[in-house]
Amino acid sequence: MSALDDVGRMLALVPWLLERPGASLSETAEAFGVSEQRIRKDLLEHLDFCGLPGLGGGDLFDVSVVEDRIVVSMADELRRPMRPTPAEALRLVLTVDAVAEVLGDELPALTSAVAKVREALGVPEGVADVLEPATTGAVLEVRRALRSGRRVLLTYQGRGDDAPRERTVDPWRLQVVDGTWYLQGHDHGAGDRRTFRLDRVAGVEVSSDPAEVPVPADLPPPRYQPGPDDVAVVIEVTRTGRWLAEALDVERVEEGEDGGATLHLTTDAPRHVARLVLMASGEARVVAPASLAATVGDLATASAARYGD
Amino acid sequence: MTAKVERLVNLTVALLETPRPLTYRELRSRTREYQQSDPESARRQFERDKDDLRGLGVPVETLDVAFEDEPGYRIDRKRYELPDVRLEADEVAALALAVKLAGEDRSRLALAKLAARAPDPTELDATGAPQVEILVDPIGDRLADALVQHVPLRFSYRTAAGDTADRTVDPYAVVQRRGAWYLVARDHDRDAQRAFRLDRIVGRVRFAGEPGAFSPPDDLDLAAAVAGPESERLEVDVAVAPTARWAVESRGGVPTGVSNADGWDVLRVPGVDRVRDRSWLLGLGDEVEVIAPEGLRRELGETLRAIATSHGAGS
Repeated sequence: MSALDDVGRMLALVPWLLERPGASLSETAEAFGVSEQRIRKDLLEHLDFCGLPGLGGGDLFDVSVVEDRIVVSMADELRRPMRPTPAEALRLVLTVDAVAEVLGDELPALTSAVAKVREALGVPEGVADVLEPATTGAVLEVRRALRSGRRVLLTYQGRGDDAPRERTVDPWRLQVVDGTWYLQGHDHGAGDRRTFRLDRVAGVEVSSDPAEVPVPADLPPPRYQPGPDDVAVVIEVTRTGRWLAEALDVERVEEGEDGGATLHLTTDAPRHVARLVLMASGEARVVAPASLAATVGDLATASAARYGD
Repeated sequence: MTAKVERLVNLTVALLETPRPLTYRELRSRTREYQQSDPESARRQFERDKDDLRGLGVPVETLDVAFEDEPGYRIDRKRYELPDVRLEADEVAALALAVKLAGEDRSRLALAKLAARAPDPTELDATGAPQVEILVDPIGDRLADALVQHVPLRFSYRTAAGDTADRTVDPYAVVQRRGAWYLVARDHDRDAQRAFRLDRIVGRVRFAGEPGAFSPPDDLDLAAAVAGPESERLEVDVAVAPTARWAVESRGGVPTGVSNADGWDVLRVPGVDRVRDRSWLLGLGDEVEVIAPEGLRRELGETLRAIATSHGAGS
């Protein structure tokens, strides 16, 4: 954390504490999203030396921490907090708006709070927005299971599967990442943690059985993690087919002729990549591995056969 | 002589508390800072401190002072202080929960400022509430300032095809769609509204005008602005293998009561975009067969045969 971050926090900390004589270190740390040690340091190593030393020592802030209770006084110059900067205000409104969109009507206080914050900070309507995915029936069912602590039975189309199959899952966490809903949980069939994209859920049912496998302390976000069995893939795309680079987790893009490019990536689901290549509508070609090129060729041939000659 | 954090807080206090602008000389005696033996390095430190405070959003004003050669400095309390927000306890709790669910730690300070004079939050039950990851990082301070204060911007932009050119725009709004951030703006050179992906802006954005230089249109439709051009909407009849039925149903497909030669049910899907949804149908591979309209059916057949050929099959 830089000295400037410290100054920004200090200017907010003083008015917050002036309003709450005897606040505890822990609630203060919680409110500012920093550790208790940090707050203690802020108070005793910085704030205690602030004020107006020019007037003979009597005008320094009076800071005391007894046990874990804080009292700040003689700091009336900073009795009101500083106005957040436009960037801070915009980030806050955006963040809260996005959550409000996902939580829908469940938290009416959030909607009224955002309106007050917008008005006080001068953030115009419509200046920033997150277009979150719609809250589908599957999302509502999974939330019901999470709230009641029960298992879910998913009919799920895995990226490597031919058809959707049944999974029994102890749900841990529901997340929107990059505009897509994900559920992380313990898959009883696999005996391990798994991530499910809710737009690949063909059916969901809340079980009467309680969920038993506890949420691990450290749950990484649902992103592609390279594994030892992953396949290295090279795909050539035309100028029109470049969107594929954004649909895949591409490691390297090599610029080609006429706005085309060569994409380098690794994948744990070649079948999923093959389908994306089909989606590119002839604007993409698998260069390597030969097995994946053959998969695409076979899949395209079998699909074309339905349309005769 | 104190460390930087205290020096900046003390400078803020001195400038807030003074009823009239203080010159550098007066500030030196008032704060007991900037006492280095080398007057030039002391002065440079003061100039840096002023810039740092302004960077933090502290409105340090420079004013002429009567009978003084030097300018005076002051912080206008009205501009510095947060106006009353009058949040209720449940609103503070809802805001705190939202910031927590979004994992947006950088908004914690803004929230603490807003909550400073509000009642303590009520308890909220957040069991089962989803986390929402929105990553607001790509929106830098300068872009945020320009959006809120309506300042034109100039930046270097790389198109999807890889060409880079300078753009001058009136920034209307930022929108996140499927994880990507877009700036919706009026492009001066083209005199038309465009959507720019923030991750294709090369280098820094620069101000290219004064605050209030434009007003965004009242009827701005952000979803439409980033959705790309609409094309013809079709009603499509698709025969679907049982394994892919859920995917077609989730796009609004309903049974027509007819089956194809393989015994697959034919579903009717409304509002199919001729360009964008063609990709979706191609991605379903050999698990679907488009029955109607005939034109789309023919196109898909041709595209699939071309893909097969370019991948060494069918020869």
